[in-house]
This record gives sequence, C-alpha cells and structure tokens, in this order.
Amino acid sequence: MGGKKPTGVETKEGITDMLFFFSSVSHSQITRLYSRFTSLDKGENGTLSREDFQRIPELAINPLGDRIINAFFPEGEDQVNFRGFMRTLAHFRPIEDNEKSKDQNGPEPLNSRSNKLHFAFRLYDLDKDDKISRDELLQVLRMMVGVNISDEQLGSIADRTIQEADQDGDCAISFAEFVKVLEKVDVEQKMSIRFLH
Amino acid sequence: MGAAALRALHWALLLLLGPLLLGQGLQANATRVSEQPWGEAGGITAAPLATAQEVHPLNRQQHNHSSDGHSKPRKAFPVLGIDYSHVRIPFEISLWILLACLMKMGFHVMSSVSKVVPESCLLIVVGLLVGGLIKAVGEKPPILKSDIFFLFLLPPIILDAGYFLPLRQFTENLGTILIFAVVGTLWNAFFLGGLMYAVCQIGGSGLNHIGLLANLLFGSIISAVDPVAVLAVFEEIHINELLHILVFGESLLNDAVTVVLYHLFEEFANFEQVTIIDIILGFLSFFVVSLGGVFVGVIYGLIAAFTSRFTSNIRVIEPLFVFLYSYMAYLSAELFHLSGIMALIASGVVMRPYVEANISHKSHTTIKYFLKMWSSVSETLIFIFLGVSTVAGQHYWNWTFVISTLLFCLIARVLGVLVLTWFINKFRIVKLTPKDQFIIAYGGLRGAIAFSLCYLLDYEHFNMRDMFLTAIITVIFFTVFVQGMTIRPLVDLLAVKKKQETKRSINEEIHTQFLDHLLTGIEDICGHYGHHHWKDKLNRFNKKYVKKCLIAGERSKEPQLIAFYHKMEMKQAIELVESGGLGKIPSTISAVSIQNISPKTLPVERVIPTLSKDKEEEIRKILRSNLQKTRQRLRSYNRHTLVADPYEEAWNQMLLRRQKIRQADHQNAYLTVPANKIDSPTMSRARIGSDPLAYEPKPDSENLPIITIDPASPQSPESVDLPNKVPKGCGGLPPSPEEDEEGLVMRPKEPSSPGTDDVFTPGTGDSPSSQRMLRCLSDPGPRQEPEEGEPFIPKGQ
Repeated sequence: MGGKKPTGVETKEGITDMLFFFSSVSHSQITRLYSRFTSLDKGENGTLSREDFQRIPELAINPLGDRIINAFFPEGEDQVNFRGFMRTLAHFRPIEDNEKSKDQNGPEPLNSRSNKLHFAFRLYDLDKDDKISRDELLQVLRMMVGVNISDEQLGSIADRTIQEADQDGDCAISFAEFVKVLEKVDVEQKMSIRFLH
Repeated sequence: MGAAALRALHWALLLLLGPLLLGQGLQANATRVSEQPWGEAGGITAAPLATAQEVHPLNRQQHNHSSDGHSKPRKAFPVLGIDYSHVRIPFEISLWILLACLMKMGFHVMSSVSKVVPESCLLIVVGLLVGGLIKAVGEKPPILKSDIFFLFLLPPIILDAGYFLPLRQFTENLGTILIFAVVGTLWNAFFLGGLMYAVCQIGGSGLNHIGLLANLLFGSIISAVDPVAVLAVFEEIHINELLHILVFGESLLNDAVTVVLYHLFEEFANFEQVTIIDIILGFLSFFVVSLGGVFVGVIYGLIAAFTSRFTSNIRVIEPLFVFLYSYMAYLSAELFHLSGIMALIASGVVMRPYVEANISHKSHTTIKYFLKMWSSVSETLIFIFLGVSTVAGQHYWNWTFVISTLLFCLIARVLGVLVLTWFINKFRIVKLTPKDQFIIAYGGLRGAIAFSLCYLLDYEHFNMRDMFLTAIITVIFFTVFVQGMTIRPLVDLLAVKKKQETKRSINEEIHTQFLDHLLTGIEDICGHYGHHHWKDKLNRFNKKYVKKCLIAGERSKEPQLIAFYHKMEMKQAIELVESGGLGKIPSTISAVSIQNISPKTLPVERVIPTLSKDKEEEIRKILRSNLQKTRQRLRSYNRHTLVADPYEEAWNQMLLRRQKIRQADHQNAYLTVPANKIDSPTMSRARIGSDPLAYEPKPDSENLPIITIDPASPQSPESVDLPNKVPKGCGGLPPSPEEDEEGLVMRPKEPSSPGTDDVFTPGTGDSPSSQRMLRCLSDPGPRQEPEEGEPFIPKGQ
C-alpha cells in the first residue's frame, strides 16, 4: 500500500479487517485493485474523492451511481483511502465454503449474506433510520424507472411493494422484512463479484 | 376406483385397437381389391365390406371408362359404402394420437401407479403392449420412422422448452451448461466408443469386424443426454431450478455436438484413414453447426418479433406466427445440416420478450396452451412408439455388447460429471455439492433421439445396425425405467432442494433490479468487466434500439419494472374474477395502474380494494344471481335495470354498513379508472378479450357500487348523498359518447376526512395497515355493446 498517506491499517479494526479480507484474496487481485485505485486517484494523494468516482463513465449512467459512490465514503468524510475502498469492496467477495463452517465467535465476515444485505439496505435507507420508508422507496423507483412514468403509478407500485413486505404494519420496510423478502433470491451469488474470489 | 378405471382402460384399449387392426387389415385388403376388382376378399374383412370395396373401385372405373359402357354387369347403387384407403393415413394418425391421449388420461386416473412409475415408463409399456397386439394379429407394427420423429414429433417439445426457458438461470449458468454439454458429451462419446472397440476386439467372432470408427459412431449416438426423456422425468420430481436447468440445458445444447459427431463418424466410417485435416474440419464444423444454428434461430426470432408488431388487427392468427417462424427456423437449420434444436431454442428465446409485448392476452394464452398441448402429445407418442418399435424392429442380441454398453455408459457418465464438476467448481460462485453432482449424473437419461439416429444408419455401411439398435434400446429402457423410477425416491432420500412454487413478487423484482444496478456499478468501479457489465450493456442496447423496432406502439418505452408490475396485477385481477369471489385473494392487492407513458394525459390508476368477509359474501351473492342474467342483459340492456330491485336492497344495506365503518376509519382512497388507451395491449388485455362471459361479471361487479350512487334510487339517504360527492371524485366523467370506452374516469382524491369519498371502506377486521378501496377492474363493457351508450355513468352526472 502507498506510504504517502496513512491507509488506515494502523487501527486494530483496520488490521483485523485487512487481515481477514486479504488472507483469502490472492496477491494478484490485491495488486490489481491497488492499481485500479491509483489509476482512479487523479490527485495522487492516496485517497479518492467523489469526483474521482464520478469520472468513471459507466457510473454516470447508472441509476444508482450516486448512492454507490456515497457508500464508499464513511460518515461525513470526503475522502476514502485504500483501506476504505477495500472495506466496501469486501462486501462483494463470494462466500467461501470453508468460511461457512468457521466458528461463530469472531465478528461476522463482511461478505456474509447478512452483511451483504445490510449493505444493500443502507443504499435504500438514506436517512439511516433502519427503515425504508415509502418516500425512500419512491426515490429509488424513480431513479430506476426513468422520467416517463407518472408519480401516481410509481406511488401505487411503492404502496404495493410495502404492503407485500410489511409485516409489523409500520408502512415501511425494516431490515428484517427486507431480509425475509429476499430469502428466495440467491443473494450469495447475486451480490458477489467473481474477480474478488 | 382403480379397478373400475383399469377395466375402462381395457375397454378403451380394445375399442381403439379394434379399428386400428381393422384398419391395417382393410388397408391390406384395399390394395388387393383395387388391383383386381373381381378378386376374392380375403383376410379379416367380412364379405359385405369386401363387396362394397369391390363396388367402389368398380364405380370409379365405370366413371372413367364410360365408353366401355355396359360391358360389366350393373350392380345396385351403393347406399352405404366403405372406402378406407381414402382416409387411411389421417385416420390411423388420429387413432394413434387418440390412443396417446387416452393413455395419458388413464394414467392420471390410476394415481397409485403414476406416483411410483413415471409416465414415460408406463407409456413405453403401453407401446410394447400395442406393438405386441399388432404383431399377434399378424400385421406389421409401424416403426418410429426417423423422418416423422425429427420433423414432426421433436420440434414441438423443443419449442415448448425453448419458449419457456427460464432465461435468467440459463444465462447465469451458461458456462457450466456449455461445459457439460460439449466437453461432457465428447468425453462420453470417445470413452464409450474406445472402450467398446476394445470390447469388440476381445469379444469374440461376432464382434471382431466392428471397426473403431463404427464404435465411435455408436458412442456418439448413445452418449447424448436426451431432452425428451429428461423433461419427462424431471417434470415430475420438481427439483430445484438450478439442477433442472443444468441437466435440461445440457440435454438441449449437446445436440450440436451430437450432430457433428454423428455426421463426422458416419462419413469417416467409410474411409479407412482419418487425416488431421479431417479432424480439423470436424472441429470447425462444430462451431459452424452450433453457431450457425443459433444464428438462424436469432434471425427468425427477430423476423417473428417484427411481424408481431403489426398484428394488432389480426389478433386471431398471432399464435400461428410464433409457431410457423419457429418451425421454419428448425427446418432451415436442418436444411443446412446445422443444429435444428439450437435454432429452435434461439428463435424462441429471442422472439419471446418482444412478441409478448405485442400480442394480445388471449394470443399469449393460446400460444402457451398450444405449445403445452403439442409437446405433451408428442412426448406421449414418442414413448409409445418407442415401445412399439421395440417389438417391431429386428433385433440382434449380443450379450457382451449390450451389457458392456450399459456398464460403460453409466461409468462414463459418472466419471464425466465428477471430473467436470471439480473443474467447474473452481470458477463457480455457488459450488455444486456432491448431492448436486449425483443428481446430474443420475439424470443423464437417454431417449428417442438416440434411437432415431441409429435407425437412420443404412444397412450397407453398417450391417451391425441391428445390434446397435438393440443395445441402444436396452440402454434407453434401463435409463428410463430404472433411473426414471428410482430418481424420485432418491431425491427424497437425499433431501435435495425442491422447486419453490411461489411466484415472483414485486419486491423481488425491484430488489433484484436494484442489485443488478448496484453490482454493475461496483464492477465498473473495480474496472472489472464481468457478468453484470455485459448484461447491463445488452439491456441498454436492447432498450435503445431493438425494442423500438420490434415492439409496437408505446409499449416499446415501457420499463421492465412497469411491465412486470402490470403483468402481475393483471394476473391477479384475472384470478380474482375467475375464482368467482373476492375473498380468496389476500389483502395485498393494491393499485393496478395501467400504462400511461406520455405525461400529458392525466395518469389514472385503479385500485383493487379488500373487503371484509361479509361484504364479500354480499357481493358474491349478487354476482352469482347477476351472472345468470348477463346473457339476457346483453340483448336488452337498459341502463335503468342495473339499479332495479333485485340487488338494490342488498347494496343499500351494504352502503349503510359501510357508512358506519367509514366513520371509524379514515383511509386514503384512490378511485380511479384507467384512461383510454385503446391501442395499448395492456388496456385491451385488461378487457380480457372479447369473451362476453369473461368480462360480464366485471362490469357488474365494479360498477354496481357506482351505480348505486345513482340518485334514481331514492331509498337510502346515503345514495342521495353520494351523487354529490361523485362529481368531485368522478370529476372527469365523459359526457360524450366517443370517450365512452373510458367507462368511469375519476381523478385521484386527496386524503379525505372520514365519510366523504370512500365508496367502500375496509372492515375493521382487516389489517390495520392502509388498504386500498374500490375494486374497479377493467371496464370493457361499453365498447362491445352497441346499445350501451354510457352504461355506467350515473344519471344526472
């Protein structure tokens, strides 16, 4: 890792994270990711800013582009170092078979099913109240569907969605309900990038 | 019940076989008779039949040689004659198909047997019996001719499979499927062929003359997993989708390999030497055959999609386009010796999303049912004929050859699967467990394709064809009977994950799309061009260019999510009506929004409410009594009769009750009805076609509540109240006839204080979460009936 700026490995949490993540990722992949990190880092200061991410062309046309970028930046900060970069990407590592049988005492690995879902949930839930409210859902739907659909239609879809998922009657989707709804979806496969294998 | 059914089956069998045998006999007779009109009638036929047959050709001859005149003595004019030869072929075909269908029906009656034994086994047994009977009578039973099989019996099954292929799972596992199909089949063929050659060399005098190439040909014929057999068996055991698509996909895609190997070895078996050039050419031809087949299929699929864009005025023949273009794709591919199966699959997959966006709902249903029907009948016929051909064919049983074939087939399959899975698991995110591997190996069933391919071999070059045929039939029987019968208990024993029957919910759809976008974004950040990246690119290309060309009208701009949502709502609405009651669907129905893309016209929605049980009972009662009257009402529609006495009472009571509940509960109500979009298939689908009975209930059901707003019913105070509110809620009721197809057009209401606009309020027994109100399903009424001007617009509005 670059020696110019602290990469955050110094903290204990950082070390355990990195060790865990890197222990099962091959050397070539780390190098590859690091070179990607440096190629994105136009300012050459060892961190990425939001503009660096926005320079990626495909991300600009991705409906969720902004939210994904925000997910990389921890609360309130504007720069992300390599550790943070890797930490976010660690969620997308495929789940190894041998990890499933690992002892449950340690902290849950970042790429467990629950943590993957939590990552996705946080992208919906902008105000961080642990609930996807109707408005948040509407915003996401609007981003995914484009401008041609009327608000009322989207509203009815959102209502229907919440109605289907909502079990405790609070007109919002909590994390538990979110998990339940996606129980049939193969999240381990869907939310994994093979290249981080 | 089982015994009675068995007896019935016996009678059915005899009933069918009688004419069949008679037909065979008659046909033999007819040929004899037509040659010599004066010849004696022999065989099975009775005398009068014979004379009648003599008479008929005689009469024709008399017509032809009228100049001959009265050289022959005049017979009495035949009031009743039999001319079997005239209808022989269609008659016999129909009898066979009828036999197949009756058998299928019979098996479901004997449910105890069909639980243990898969249908395919029973059908083969029936075929054996029928073949045996025909032989016993002395006639020659028909053999499954390869032409008939490949041109008529196989395509419907493959088209059915391809059209309804679960594309998402297929593409996600495409790598695995391809490796199993290509490498697995190659391995099987060569392993088996090589080992059989060794066996032949060792096996004694009877086998020594079979060369290496002949054995390799045999190996390539028998190594392919058969889609028909796999479908037949896997359909009944309901295993999880991953395994199903793996085995089934493999059976489909290995056709290319089989075709290439078959032709290759067939050609080479005549030459003594195989040069390197031949091998390279063979390798090349594999790519040509498979990619060429896919290419042909894609072309036809696109043409079909394009054609369907313009079929809005001839809805009735829309399904025919789908079938014809697919069949043409198959035939064109076979014409060039390309892989017909891959062409068929490719055309089905390509045309499906666009065709479904363009055609009417009824055509969609027609396509689905015709495909299922044809493929079902085909499958049944194939298995029956397999049985019959076994009896009919000439066999040459050689213990060594047959037993070793069987053994090596199994060994090759197991080894192949094990090795390939070990290799594939390095690249898969979700690994294949040993249980999965076992099922994949065990599901490698052989079937009629192998039989037909062997049958195609000609005798001169392959004089051991009979032995091959015998061995192939043995392997087929073994796999279908033993493996087919035991796979179900094994699946239960191993606790393999079964298929989840539930439908996809809107949540899943939204969240999977969300995850797709998320993963595409992450891949872009990583700079990794993976699965999601290309899928996203393809989707964008599709949306930007292809959809515009191939989908008619405004549906081309409809986002996938909206289309899915509409489809789901439509399905539920139809289910709701067809089930005849409102209580069956749980309280999750909310809004049905009809497509409205252009922001200029006011978006309208409709709402499906949920009602408490007693209200539902009321409505059901009313509907039931009303339904009987619908036909009459069609003729003598009178706007006023809808608010006539029979159910007005019940409605008023309901209104009273509602008032009370309404006061207890404020709810948000959207009372809207779709704007007019006549051309939009969604809208016309909403009308549920032109079947009067299909939509009759709906106009009554939804609009009855509105009707009671009609001030013509002065009894209840509420109904006087409501009309005043109706204009507010139903603000845009079209007064003019030309907008009359809109039925009721209402604007969405703002959240209202209690007791205002809600026509229906959910009972307090319903779940506390907000419920949607009025069920205003599609209102197709106005369009169809000339007398109905604006039927459901309350008077005075």
